[in-house]
Amino acid sequence: MSIFSASKNTFTHNIQIKMIRQLIFTLFLVLIFSWDIHAQTERAIGLRENTPAVFAFTNADIVTGPGRVIRGGEVIVRNGTIEAAGSGLDIPSDASVIDLDGRMVYPGFIDIMSHYGMPEPEEEEGLHYWNPQVRAHYRSAEFFRPDEEQAADLRSQGFVVVNTASCNGLFRGTGSIVSLGDGDAARMIIRQDIVQHMGFRPSEKLGKGYPASGMGAIALIRQSLLDAGWYVAAHSAFDANPALDRPETNKTLDAIAGARKSMTPFIVEVENENWFLRAAAIAGEFDLNMWIVGSGHEYRRLEAIAQTGMPVILPLAFPEAPDVTTPEKSINVSLETLRHWYLAPENPSRLADSGLMVALSSYGSEGNFLKNLQAAVERGLDKDKALAALTTIPAKMLGIDNRYGAIAEGNAASFIIADDDIFDGPSGIREVWVDGKRYVIKAEQEKPCGTWQISSGTDLDGAELDLQGASGKISLEDQGTRLTWVKANEQRVNIGFVGDSIGLEGFYNLSANLSADELLGLGKKATGDFFTWMARRTGQAGTADDRPQRPYSRLELPRRYPSMEYGLASPPEQPAHVIIRNATIWTQGPAGILENADMLIEQGQITAVGHNIAAPRRSLEIDASGMHVTPGLIDPHIHTSITGGVNETGDAITAETRITDVLHGDNVWIYRLLAGGITSATLFHGSANPIGGQNAVIKMRWGQLPDQLTIEDAAPGLKMALGENVKRLASRYPGSRQGTEQIIRDAFQAALEYNDAWSRWEKQSKGMPPRRDLQLEAILEVIKGERKAHVHAYRQDEMLMMMRLAEEFGFTVGSFEHTLEGYKIADELREHGAGAVVWTDWSSFKVEAYDGILYNARLLNEAGVLTSLHSDNTQLSTRMNWEGAKTMMTGVSETDAMNFITLHPAKIMGIDHRVGSLEAGKDADFVIWNGHPMSTFSIPEQTWVDGKKYFDRKEDRVLQTAVKKERALIINRIHEEAQ
Amino acid sequence: MNAYGTTTQHVFKAIFIFSLSILLQSAGTFAQTPAPPQSGPVAITGGTIHTVTQGVIPGGTVLFDDGKIIAVGQDVEIPGHTEIIEADGRHVFPGFIHGRSTIGLMEIARIRESTDLQEVGQINPNIRARVAFHPASEHLPVAAVHGVTTVVPTPRGSLIAGMPAAMMTDGWTWEQMTLREELAMVVEWPSMDDTDQYREAFGSLKQAFDKARRYKVARSAQQQGNEQHHPYDSRWEAMDPVLEGEMPVFLSVGELRQIQAAMAWAEKEKLKIVLVGNRDLGLVADQLAEKNIPVMLSGVIAGPARQWEGYDEGYKTPLLLHEAGVDFCIAGDMGAASTYRIHHHAASAVAFGLPEQQALEAITINAARILGIDDLVGSIEPGKHATLMITDGNPIELWTSKEQVFIKGRRIEMVDKHKRLYEQYHLKHQQKEKNK
Repeated sequence: MSIFSASKNTFTHNIQIKMIRQLIFTLFLVLIFSWDIHAQTERAIGLRENTPAVFAFTNADIVTGPGRVIRGGEVIVRNGTIEAAGSGLDIPSDASVIDLDGRMVYPGFIDIMSHYGMPEPEEEEGLHYWNPQVRAHYRSAEFFRPDEEQAADLRSQGFVVVNTASCNGLFRGTGSIVSLGDGDAARMIIRQDIVQHMGFRPSEKLGKGYPASGMGAIALIRQSLLDAGWYVAAHSAFDANPALDRPETNKTLDAIAGARKSMTPFIVEVENENWFLRAAAIAGEFDLNMWIVGSGHEYRRLEAIAQTGMPVILPLAFPEAPDVTTPEKSINVSLETLRHWYLAPENPSRLADSGLMVALSSYGSEGNFLKNLQAAVERGLDKDKALAALTTIPAKMLGIDNRYGAIAEGNAASFIIADDDIFDGPSGIREVWVDGKRYVIKAEQEKPCGTWQISSGTDLDGAELDLQGASGKISLEDQGTRLTWVKANEQRVNIGFVGDSIGLEGFYNLSANLSADELLGLGKKATGDFFTWMARRTGQAGTADDRPQRPYSRLELPRRYPSMEYGLASPPEQPAHVIIRNATIWTQGPAGILENADMLIEQGQITAVGHNIAAPRRSLEIDASGMHVTPGLIDPHIHTSITGGVNETGDAITAETRITDVLHGDNVWIYRLLAGGITSATLFHGSANPIGGQNAVIKMRWGQLPDQLTIEDAAPGLKMALGENVKRLASRYPGSRQGTEQIIRDAFQAALEYNDAWSRWEKQSKGMPPRRDLQLEAILEVIKGERKAHVHAYRQDEMLMMMRLAEEFGFTVGSFEHTLEGYKIADELREHGAGAVVWTDWSSFKVEAYDGILYNARLLNEAGVLTSLHSDNTQLSTRMNWEGAKTMMTGVSETDAMNFITLHPAKIMGIDHRVGSLEAGKDADFVIWNGHPMSTFSIPEQTWVDGKKYFDRKEDRVLQTAVKKERALIINRIHEEAQ
Repeated sequence: MNAYGTTTQHVFKAIFIFSLSILLQSAGTFAQTPAPPQSGPVAITGGTIHTVTQGVIPGGTVLFDDGKIIAVGQDVEIPGHTEIIEADGRHVFPGFIHGRSTIGLMEIARIRESTDLQEVGQINPNIRARVAFHPASEHLPVAAVHGVTTVVPTPRGSLIAGMPAAMMTDGWTWEQMTLREELAMVVEWPSMDDTDQYREAFGSLKQAFDKARRYKVARSAQQQGNEQHHPYDSRWEAMDPVLEGEMPVFLSVGELRQIQAAMAWAEKEKLKIVLVGNRDLGLVADQLAEKNIPVMLSGVIAGPARQWEGYDEGYKTPLLLHEAGVDFCIAGDMGAASTYRIHHHAASAVAFGLPEQQALEAITINAARILGIDDLVGSIEPGKHATLMITDGNPIELWTSKEQVFIKGRRIEMVDKHKRLYEQYHLKHQQKEKNK
């Protein structure tokens, strides 16, 4: 078997000389392959292995590093190290010469993100953190075992070194930088413990308890980092004063604290661009040195990602084309999915050009790394940047650039030999050398394809055989016929044909073994006679360019934020002055409902509402004759735009979780809510826990990043829950309404004691420093009245319990949520001062909902309770005006009904100083309706937030058409590429 | 809205006083008591009569006796001893028809013991919903006082789920409340997301129809003198009217592929069908019109099914069907507690372009026709049941009050659980005020 086929050059007369040379190399290979790597200190068993390992690679185009090529040069390798690389070098006399015949040599690739050779987690015992997802103490080097199959896969994509770490947990422990050879772990490990690994998805292999949600994961990461800080402080306090209570010994916290102190990089795996930004926020909060393992979605928020300045390890894993093979299938594919399919290969170039440090990775690419690399280059990734991102940059990041990442004297002989430019097409990698050891990636294979001259074989003598894969032709004396079949592999060929049209008789069946450029075989005639035959190659098969043909022009997709249907190319403008004329204006303030009225808006704020208002020249004037203008509607209770679960079900008390940690704006429902006139909402933790999490209050600023959605000066809130939901899990306390009171009381009590501990510390500052507890801090804020409790409740008894408990601890419940039986204790609610957030007509879906009545809002309102409607359902939330209309059906006035969906929820959410009514000084959040806003026949024409028009029914029609066209454009491209 | 003479400032009316006075008269009654049969002729005069089928009659009269409408018009001769109900400034409409609900079969969704919707197994053609219809369900009076006078309790949860019936929303027993017995056969088209599961389910459905046909052949041969005895099979017996084309199949479909498959199957089986769904029906509206396939919309108030669809996609289906000329009616969602607001679904389509008259027809006469009860209800016409309501405005607007509802001439008590608890806890509030 030869080493290099002649696939690059066409057939030449010196092929035989080459073959002889290759034969010598083949013998050589056998020797190299027997060279094994053991630890130096290991005792020799049997005979010692002392084969020389000196090679001279000649006639090579050597890419020594990004942008540096030596044409027709030499690389000298001695005992695993590059002795020299250059042009016109003297070949050492002890070297075995390998003529690369014009092939390319690249430095081997380095992958910072892998789980290569890491075992499944086992139950660990020891001095670890209480939560199994936090295992910063885990040292991958202790568990790493080389795995030849995985190593071969990585090498086949050009990699020679990887950083490997566990894939489990939020804190996953340290990484190990290992060579991808096939020796013992002891010889493969290059460096260890210089990076820490993290992720946001708890591993079920480590247990199924807390955290069970994205917000729980972030909360636990935050608490662990704080605990590590406390751990160090506690131990130094103890060292200074051994009379103190001895703090715990904890390897995990030790590891986290050590990593922070030494500014060890934390390598964080993220699922999309929002998680990228969340990770960056944590890095900022705790001043961590962080590298991000990208998701491939970075292009969607490139500006924000670039601003983080964080190094990115970018896996080249691209999505498969969505199935659009039938109209019925294509109808189900979203524009978001289509855009991502088309744009994902552009992500590497956009990110590489963003100014961030980028290293590429094969992580998750499932054997398609090179193919994806070529696709990325075709879509704009600069080849030198790509090479740097695979060699010099990761080498530098990992601190192994003195040995890896370039072809240079003194570096490890870890390099790639390729037929062609590996960034251009699937020319393929021939071999990868790792620390001076050769690994053949693509073995030479003889192919019978080509033309052959039959030189013996009775009446076939002189016939020409032309084999082309599964078909072929035989000709004899200018007459030719198609072969009936051709069956061939790299070793054997078998053909059949009818000979009559070339002057023979009947059917011929021939087979032969392939030997270099000769066929030696046996044939059978129609007569039943056997004969031997042989043939010599006279030509190679035409080297069909199997590079994918991409004759298609680049699609010009519009910028969209978010990158999905109805995304905006840029945020809506805020006109300096807007004057609305001739509208029926529902001020929801003392002015009441004004007919034929005007409203003036300056820089996003309302400055005047009334009649005949003078407006500055060049104001944007909107004639709203016949239309109604109301404050933007506000829904004080929904669960949309939350990533990673709305309930942290891992525990009953989870006050440390924060919706703002997992908020995202890439949700088409934000646009749909705007279309229904909603401008603000509270996003809540679910009702699984007696004490849930901290809520987010947002404006529907479609297209914006999460932190731009929140209303910064809204009242902080904490979701709590009573009744059926919190006692549903049989395995968990509480199991009854009786226990619900007790567990809440217990948490409140603990918060007070926490407060005492800190007060003592602040006064005396001596002894053991108290540990910060983010859960108790949030609960304490509720007790202190700094954070509003929003309590999910249905029945009157549980609400009464909660009010009395709150009174005992000295605070007022902010609001009850759902409040189905609120009407039964309307007076008690008013006296306590709790708001009531209610549905209009949801009832009877469970026992505690059976007494829900349509008149609830009316009775509460009449009793003087601050009453608000809510949806708890994103679809319902798009029609809150109709919910208001339902209360009018029970006798509520239209102004009160409108208050239920504007001013009252604003008060409950603590944003009424900014929104909820149309009065001078408030934010210009308003809706223009095509009729009476409480009519079932009315819908919004326009919705404005901060004096910016975010929804316009006329523009929506244009957008709907644009979405349709863009989907069609990309679907057509999928069809074209499938051809 | 102007047609109803209401202004935006005065949308809620004296209706409350009206209904509360009835409540106070029957103080101590904490459930709606079914009304007695009509005991003499009644004439509603002076109001605007919206016949639905015969136009609008301002200052008209509806005369009814013995549960049936005798005359409608401006110059109706009123016999002596007729009870006159003055309806000046009021409007008279036929009662709403909700074509598909769990009402009467389900009280509290999460309490299994209170639900009777689903029978064991996938092939249940013999199931009759009305025999399990719970006359004392708290949800029935809620529907009735909001003008929903006819409901169709519908079994569900299996491929062939059984037979719904048309029921009046007031009465002492299911027997008395039956407007029309078994209306149709409910077939729930299986999900097509999983190919293997779908193939199996579709196979069961085809097999059931095949078996029913074989049974029919054998039993008719026996009736015509063939000596071979074939014992009674309750399932296949129940399918006979379906195979005869006498009973329609209410074929519920979720998405495009199901609609296509269900239509092809029904064509092959030569069935009379009504498609029940919403999603994607607008896409095939032309085909539905061409094939004269009626549609019962299972609710209009719904978000788009797909991310790329417009925010208004769900609301536009009625308009698309209307424009294509499809015969359709609107049923709300199936919830027992939300049956009362079927008109909200109809009205929401108006917000997105459906003509108001179409919306009204979709929950009155069209529903009656598609359910096969238009000889009894669905419009105000002589000969039909006096099943109607007096309102203070457009009855499909949420804010409109239904002042009095009649079902088959019986003046029903305008009280439900909502009003009852309102009254009770209003009293609690008053007691507390006095004590201060």
